[in-house]
Amino acid sequence: MSRKKQKFNVVIVGSGFSGIVAANILLDAGLDVLLIDENMHTGGQLLRKIPEKLGEYPGYRPDPVKKTGFGFVDSLRKKKIEILNRAIVIGIYPDNKILVEVDEKEVISVAYDVILFATGAREKFIPFKGWTLPGVYSTGLVQVLMKSSGVLPAERMVIGGSGLFLFAAAYEFLKNGGKVDAVLEQTPMFEKMKLLSQFFHQFSKFTEGAKYLLRIVLSGTAVRHRRKIVEARGEKALEEVVTARVNRAGRVIPGSEKIYKTGALAVGYGFTPNVELPQLAGCELEYAPGKGGWVVEVNRELETGIENIFAAGEITGVGGALKSITEGRMAAFAILKRLGKISGEEYSAKSKSLLRQRRRHLKFGEYFNLLYSIPGEMFLDIPGETVVCRCEDVTMDDIRKAVKHGYASPGSLKVAVRTGMGNCQGRICGPNVFEIISALTGEPQRQVGRFSVRPPIKPVSIGSLAEYRDNGKSG
Amino acid sequence: MKKDLRIKKINRKEKVNIRVNGNEVLAYNGETVFAALVASGYKALKKSPILKEKRGAFCGMGVCFECLVTVNGTPNVRSCMCPVENDMEIEVDE
Repeated sequence: MSRKKQKFNVVIVGSGFSGIVAANILLDAGLDVLLIDENMHTGGQLLRKIPEKLGEYPGYRPDPVKKTGFGFVDSLRKKKIEILNRAIVIGIYPDNKILVEVDEKEVISVAYDVILFATGAREKFIPFKGWTLPGVYSTGLVQVLMKSSGVLPAERMVIGGSGLFLFAAAYEFLKNGGKVDAVLEQTPMFEKMKLLSQFFHQFSKFTEGAKYLLRIVLSGTAVRHRRKIVEARGEKALEEVVTARVNRAGRVIPGSEKIYKTGALAVGYGFTPNVELPQLAGCELEYAPGKGGWVVEVNRELETGIENIFAAGEITGVGGALKSITEGRMAAFAILKRLGKISGEEYSAKSKSLLRQRRRHLKFGEYFNLLYSIPGEMFLDIPGETVVCRCEDVTMDDIRKAVKHGYASPGSLKVAVRTGMGNCQGRICGPNVFEIISALTGEPQRQVGRFSVRPPIKPVSIGSLAEYRDNGKSG
Repeated sequence: MKKDLRIKKINRKEKVNIRVNGNEVLAYNGETVFAALVASGYKALKKSPILKEKRGAFCGMGVCFECLVTVNGTPNVRSCMCPVENDMEIEVDE
């Protein structure tokens, strides 16, 4: 692919809201920008729609925030930015170089003056009996499948877990002709109302939420609070879902089980920032429950502890699209200052109101991150035979035993039972493994820490690496 | 297989020919391999390494590697991140 140019003023990793907002500003200032994204499309996980080559969706109307976002993508296209899609940064080196695998075919090396990490967040999951059964999907998968490929995961489904995203998935599924058997939120409803009045400035988000709820209620869908998914059952794939009511501590109330026969189960338990690449680069991370867990530490200008490496969006704190837009702007102006395109005074003038906005968005995010945070003891309710690490088939019992024998850190546990050693490199099991260690040992998460990372930080085909070496030799 | 799970309201443009385990499966240009599979009722796509459990796509966005299939002879391709192409040969371990 793009072998023409191998050096850019700015490389942006991640084309979600913060990445595309920053890219627009940097391009307008005349800088060379390379935008890299792992997905087939540009726009990140929120900005998805039926691709032009697939077809048209008559009557599709994005909400106001997404409409703005699609506008950012369109204006990037007009500026003829260099975008690498289906591209993964697999390594980053101190001489301002990254290695990128493109199209699962080749590996290229790119140099930069400044790099902006805008790698977003992924969903979190809590293992339950049968969660590895085909037909148990993440709420994100359900959204991606409908929005990017125009396909329903099943004719009917149960949606469960924790967080506002459950309702967004239910809304979208109903709108596209699916039938929702139930939406099950394990967090008590009344707690959601606490402190809500503090956030009237985020009014647009609430009207969106109200729209979702209205559609769901009008459809006759059962919405249940304080009810969790206990088991997914089926012969070859999911057939039924066992649910149970939980008490205020999140523990199952015996005798309250209810079974739903359904076609699919969608689960989600909130989000965790994608900090693996910044971690590989050596950026400091901090553990902040109000920010959604482990996040990248940044200063007021969104620069990480490493010079010329900036971070924006969900990786500095889970807070939603509006926070990402604000941070995309902040990072872009800080980068313009760094590269001498604007003066210190110009920067201060531009960033003043943005700093204020950012504080508000962080506060908003904190409210939801803490509201939906899952009590540590709940992780001890994972049944012994349940697989926690899907890649390596490591069960809860395996982890309990190993921790008991002293393998009580993410690193030693990985060596002992291979959690985090597989293809996903601990991205799915990690957040749970850290919680389980913390719950078993009583050590706070901050001290438990994380898995270490090393390149390549996502599996790479041997072919692409071999080709890179060959090119290296001949060139 | 079961009925088509594609959203009816969408006007699709171009069909492409793909085969799954040797059988013709309906697919449209612009879909991912996973979308084409799930639309035709495929759920289990591979086996887990130790317990040999049936597994299917889970995260849907390239993180979990549970949707790995063989595409044109190349094993371990994430079907959720791979666009369909004409004459693609896909193998899944149902």
